Amino acid sequence: MNVYLLQVVNGIGIGMLYFLLAVGLSIIFGLLRFVNFAHGAFYLLGAYFCFQALQWGMNFWLALVVVPLLVALCAWVVEKVLLRHVYAQAHEFHILVTVGLALVLQEGVILVWGPLGDNVATPDALQGVVMWGSFIYPKYRLFVIGFTAVFALALWWVLEGTRLGSAVRAGSESTEMVSLLGINVFRIFSLVFALGAGTAALAGVLAAPIRGVEPFMGIEALGIAFVIVVVGGMGSFAGALVGGLLIGIVQSVMSTLWPEGARLMIYVAMAAVLLLRPHGLLGRG
Amino acid sequence: MTRLTTHFQLLLVIAVALILPLVMRSGSLATEVLIYAIAVAGCNLLLGFTGLLSFGQGIFFGLGSYTAGILLTRLGLPLPLALLAAVVVGALAATLVGWFAIRQRGTYFVMLTLAFAQMFYFLAYSLPNLTGGDNGLLDVPRPPISVGGLELMALKTPWQFYTLVAVCFVIVFWLLLRVTRSVFGRTLLAIRDNEERAAAVGYNVRLFKLAAFAISGAVTGLAGAFLAIMTGIAPLSSIEYHTSEMILVMTVIGGTGNLFASVLGAAFYVLFSDWLSTLWPRWLLLLGMLLIAVSLFMQRGLWGLGERIWLAVRRKPPAGDIDAPSATEPRP
Repeated sequence: MNVYLLQVVNGIGIGMLYFLLAVGLSIIFGLLRFVNFAHGAFYLLGAYFCFQALQWGMNFWLALVVVPLLVALCAWVVEKVLLRHVYAQAHEFHILVTVGLALVLQEGVILVWGPLGDNVATPDALQGVVMWGSFIYPKYRLFVIGFTAVFALALWWVLEGTRLGSAVRAGSESTEMVSLLGINVFRIFSLVFALGAGTAALAGVLAAPIRGVEPFMGIEALGIAFVIVVVGGMGSFAGALVGGLLIGIVQSVMSTLWPEGARLMIYVAMAAVLLLRPHGLLGRG
Repeated sequence: MTRLTTHFQLLLVIAVALILPLVMRSGSLATEVLIYAIAVAGCNLLLGFTGLLSFGQGIFFGLGSYTAGILLTRLGLPLPLALLAAVVVGALAATLVGWFAIRQRGTYFVMLTLAFAQMFYFLAYSLPNLTGGDNGLLDVPRPPISVGGLELMALKTPWQFYTLVAVCFVIVFWLLLRVTRSVFGRTLLAIRDNEERAAAVGYNVRLFKLAAFAISGAVTGLAGAFLAIMTGIAPLSSIEYHTSEMILVMTVIGGTGNLFASVLGAAFYVLFSDWLSTLWPRWLLLLGMLLIAVSLFMQRGLWGLGERIWLAVRRKPPAGDIDAPSATEPRP
C-alpha cells in the first residue's frame, strides 16, 4: 500500500491531537487576551494523571472523563487565586506568571513521578490493528481520530449554539460591552480558562498511550500549540483545526522523507504560512 | 524616580567587574555572571527600551556558542575572530527572526519568537554533522590571544578568562549605554511608549525595531560564544527553550528599562541557582514560585525594589532630627 497515504492518515491522527492542544490556547487568548504559557503544563498534567489513574487500576475510559475534569478544576482554582490578579497588568506579567506556573507544575511532576519517562498501555479494547484490504492501521489511533472529531463537534456546538458560547464569542469582541449587558465576565473567564486547560489535559490523556509520559512533553507541546495557533490564526476555532491538521500531516509525511528534520519542518511550514498570510490562515488580522 | 546618568551606571558596571574577583572564590562562576549580564542587557534593550518581549534570545545565544565552537574546533581560528563571527551571526539571525516577528505585535509577536526558538532548536538538532546534535560540540579550545606568534594574553586559568570577559563586558555596557542615550535610543523609547504616535511623527517603526533586534542579537551572540569558550562545550541546551526563558527571567527579575538592572538580574539568578541547585535538584520549582511572586508583587524587579527602599529611606521625615540631615542625603 502507499506509504504516503498511511502517513497522511497518521498525520490526521496527530493533527487532531494537535487541534485539541491548540484550541484551548486559542479560545483562552481570544477571550482573555492572555497567552497561557502554562498550557503545555496542563497537557503534561493530563498525561501524568492518566498514567497514575491506570497505575491505580482505573479503567482508561473512566480516566478519559475524570482526568480532564480534574485538570479543569485545578485550572479553575488557579485562575481564581492567581491569574485574576494580573489581568490588569502589562502582558509581560501575564506571560511571566504563567511561565512560573508552568515551571512549578513541571517540577512538581518530576518531584512526584521522577525525571524519567514511562509507558502507558493502550486500553485492551483498542489493541491491535484494523485491516481493510491492504490498509492496515492501529485501532487506538483510529479511535483518537474519531473521538477528537466528535469532541470537536461538541465543542463547536458549545461555542456556537449555547448561551455560554455566545457570551464567550461576544466577550472576545468586547469584554466591556458584555459586562455592561449584565453578564458576569469574570465567571466566564474562569470557565473558559478551565475549559481550555481541560481540552489540553484531554489531549494529554489521549496522547499518553501513543507517546508515553515524560516530564518535558509539556514544553514540546507548548511550542507546537503556538505554531498551530500562529498558522491557523489567533482565537479562531476553525484555524486551530486547519492548523492542527496541516502541521500534523507535514510532520507525519516528513518523518518518512527526512526523519531527523520532521519536527524542524513544522516550523518551516509555519514560516512559509507567515510569509504568505501574516495573520495566519484564518486570522482576521 | 531616580534617574541615573550614563556615567554613574558605567561606574557601577566597572565596579561590579572589579569587585567580583575580590568577593568570589570561583572564577568561572564570576565569569558566568558577567556573560549572562551581557545577554540580559541585550534582552533588556528589547523589553525595557523597545517594548518587545522576545522569547527567542536563546537562538542568538546558542548560535553564538555554535559559531565560536565550530570556528575554534574545526578551523582553529584565533579567538578574537571567533568572537567577532559570533557577534555577526547573532546579528544576522536576529535580523532574520526579527524580520518575521516584527510584522506582528503584542502577544502574537511573543508567540512567534518562541516558535522561532523551537525552530532553531530543531535545526541544530537535525544537523549533527555541524552541531554535534544531541551531544553538542565538545572540546572547544581556549587558545591564548596572540598577534603574529607573540602571546598577548593567556586564558588558561578561570581568572585570566574572567579578565577578557570583564573587559568585553564593560565595553558592551558602555556601547549599550551610549545607544540608549542616543537619538536612536530615545526613538526606541518613543516606540515603546506609543507606537502609533511614533509612526505618525514619521519614524519607520519597523526599521527601528529591527535595528534594536540586530543589536540585541549581536550582544547575545557574544555572550553565547563566551559561555561555549569558558565551558569548552557548545551544548544543544544552549539553544533550547530554557535558555530563552532563563535570559528573559533574569531580565524581568533585575528590572527593565535600566541597563544596570540587568547585571543585578543576572547576578541574582546565576548565584541563586548555583546555591540552590546544590541544595535541592528541584530548585526550578522555587524559581517558578519566585516568578509568580515577582509578577504579582515586584513588577519593577530588583532594581525597582531597591529604588523603592531608597526613596522610602530618603522621604522619611527627619522629625526632630534636623541636625543630622546629611545621613539621608543622596550620595553623589
